[in-house]
Amino acid sequence: MSTTTGDPALRDPARKVSSRAIGYWTTTALIWEGILVAGLSVVYFVVLPERWWWATAILVLAVVGAIVEVLIVPRFKYAVHRWEVTDSAIYTRSGWLNVEQRIAPLSRVQTVDSEQGAIQRMFRLASITVTTASAAGAIEINCLDQDEARRVVADLTEITSRDEGDAT
Amino acid sequence: MSLPGDPRPEGPAHDPPEGPADDAPTPQGPAHDAPTPQGPADDARTPQGPAYDLPAPAGPAAAPPPEGPAYDLPAPQVVRDREWHRQSPKMLVIHPFRVLWSMAVPIVIAFIGINQSDGTWSVRLLPVLVIGALALGLIPWFTTHYRFTETQLQVRKGLINKSETTAPLDRVRSVDLESPPLHRVLGLARAKIGTGVDESRVELDGLAQDDAAQLREYLLLRGAGGRAGTVTGAAGQSPGSMPGAPGLPAGPGGEQPAGEQPAGEQPAGGRFDPGQPGSAGLAQEEVLAEIDWSWLRFAPFSLSSLVIVATALGVLFQFGDDFGILSQDRVEGTYEWLLAQAILALVLGGLLVLLVGWLLVSTANYVLQWWNLRLVREPGGTIRLTRGLLTTTSTTVEEARIRGVQLTEPLLLRAVGGGELTSLATGVGSGGTTKLLPPCPRRVAESVGHSVLGTGERLLDPTGDTPHDPGTGGDDRLDGPLTVSVRSHGPAAHRRLLVQSLWPTLFLTAGVAGLTWWLSWDWWIVAAVAVGAGLVNLGLAQLAYRNLGHQLTSEHIVSRSGALQRQRVVLERAGVIGWVVRQSFFQRRRGLADLLATTAAGPEVVTVSDIPLPWALALARQVNPTVVDQFRSAGEEP
Repeated sequence: MSTTTGDPALRDPARKVSSRAIGYWTTTALIWEGILVAGLSVVYFVVLPERWWWATAILVLAVVGAIVEVLIVPRFKYAVHRWEVTDSAIYTRSGWLNVEQRIAPLSRVQTVDSEQGAIQRMFRLASITVTTASAAGAIEINCLDQDEARRVVADLTEITSRDEGDAT
Repeated sequence: MSLPGDPRPEGPAHDPPEGPADDAPTPQGPAHDAPTPQGPADDARTPQGPAYDLPAPAGPAAAPPPEGPAYDLPAPQVVRDREWHRQSPKMLVIHPFRVLWSMAVPIVIAFIGINQSDGTWSVRLLPVLVIGALALGLIPWFTTHYRFTETQLQVRKGLINKSETTAPLDRVRSVDLESPPLHRVLGLARAKIGTGVDESRVELDGLAQDDAAQLREYLLLRGAGGRAGTVTGAAGQSPGSMPGAPGLPAGPGGEQPAGEQPAGEQPAGGRFDPGQPGSAGLAQEEVLAEIDWSWLRFAPFSLSSLVIVATALGVLFQFGDDFGILSQDRVEGTYEWLLAQAILALVLGGLLVLLVGWLLVSTANYVLQWWNLRLVREPGGTIRLTRGLLTTTSTTVEEARIRGVQLTEPLLLRAVGGGELTSLATGVGSGGTTKLLPPCPRRVAESVGHSVLGTGERLLDPTGDTPHDPGTGGDDRLDGPLTVSVRSHGPAAHRRLLVQSLWPTLFLTAGVAGLTWWLSWDWWIVAAVAVGAGLVNLGLAQLAYRNLGHQLTSEHIVSRSGALQRQRVVLERAGVIGWVVRQSFFQRRRGLADLLATTAAGPEVVTVSDIPLPWALALARQVNPTVVDQFRSAGEEP
């Protein structure tokens, strides 16, 4: 093991995303899963002449999946999505089964974008994307409170504009 | 060349338009070397002493650093006159050729088609077509203009859709020259000028070869001058990082050591005899590698020209069909036995032809591509690669932009001790990688790689603030990043690779079992497939494990991976612009992670896969202590 630095873990980033994100994710999941289940149902009840057992199985799976997506996944997402911006770096963590942690020094940040979809606007949420000179290095923070997102973007822009150079 | 009243655009060039390229707390690797292009090759300089001597008696001006003459290069005529220029008139020959070539197929088809319908038409129409093509070919020459202003290169193109591209001279980062055969016959060259990250390049075609060479030198030095403050700033902190740099045997002219003085402070006055700027540039270049034709033995072991042979083979088989030798109905009757023997002979002959063909094609391809290979470090901090038998190319990468190198050893090449060297650089286009060497002995690739990185045979510093791995310390202290032994990822990674390799075996076996059940084959087939595929996959996993590893040297991160094709990626610590730690569900159960170091260079990410999580974090911490430390778990202070 690494004896030079006894450092087993990164802590979680300090902040959670806005709690309204649960509502937002539930809504979007409801829309997409609704479309999916409706489509499958039409095929199942209208198009298919006989109700084969495997068709029934697919439909049941889809419905169960939809319920999980709508009721459970948004809460898990909210629990695992965390972020933090310090003076020198931005740090995020996401994923439940497959966990991903991303760190980018602010000195290497090239652009700070924020975006807000129509449904996000209803929930007063916004997402931030921070890119570096590496295509693999973009960091997203989804579903912040929109005022907070604005503040973070302003801060980041201010901090990163202090560093000159081309950040490569 | 240059007149006393020579307008020198260098003035603004010395104002560094950019601040420090990065504030990473670690010492910046090869950045040290950027302003000290002389590198470790002290000997390369000695014979050139006289070049420096020339002006010395005339101008007792205090000895400028070796870069001095470089920045004082007089601007070439095309740059100075500020006029709009056309391409060389000789391009009037080349353009129509190009058009004819690209239209050859339609013209031939039209010709044949017309010929079949009515003979007399074709005779009249063909000249029309050809003349039309020629006329079309002349248009680019009339519509393309370029000029240099004080700060910019401007290129205007287009007859109907006019376009103007500009390239700021202070930001020129690469100037590549290329001369296809026709250009060479006419003494012309094409320049591609790159100015930044991921931007397309400005192309100047139809330059006279001499002008192109001068322009290249001037533009690169000018571009380097624009950034000199940045690069040199970082260099001062690392005395001794380069074996050759501090103790430069100053020529009789008495220069100062390289890199000690920011270029911006140099007197811009003409210390150098302006009559021979070219020789000034040549005087200081250090040869890193030249083609050695004994390397030709590696050509057949590299599969990069396999495509060509495969195509040739396809053509061959089509002929085989036409001859009808292989058709079924011939193999019967009294001649059956004879024919069978003939077919056997044919197959063996075919294999022999294939082998010989492969040897010829791969060797020819190697010679064509790598003829006259020269890899040099130039004054002004650039690495230049020239090569090519028919089409000559010259590729220049600014040294400070080279963030790392990659050593690739495909299975066949590895078997005979060969490897290929590629550089990872930022803002050079085409994936950011440039082949530096052809397939060659691994030792050559390693030592050239080290000199490109500027860290050849350096002493790793086990006592400094970047303690390197205890597992490999001590004995490997004379290694560079390309030769240092890597740290294996341990039993957990080994188990994971072995278990992972079972999946494809399982799917394959299941598929075959399904088929067997369906077509009622014998069941031993399933067993054979399971055992065979299982063994192959386990073997591959074992190979992958043996190749998997990482290492941290005083200036570089090293990641080695691959099963059949082994590759070692060396990335400068200062080139890391972010970290990603990825753990799949199964990796978390084993305490492993994929560590991704993101970078602007080359493939933009360097992956260290299946590394134990604590090692991953230790690695990231050692590279970016201040950034990563703040996110450590509380109360874990060592």
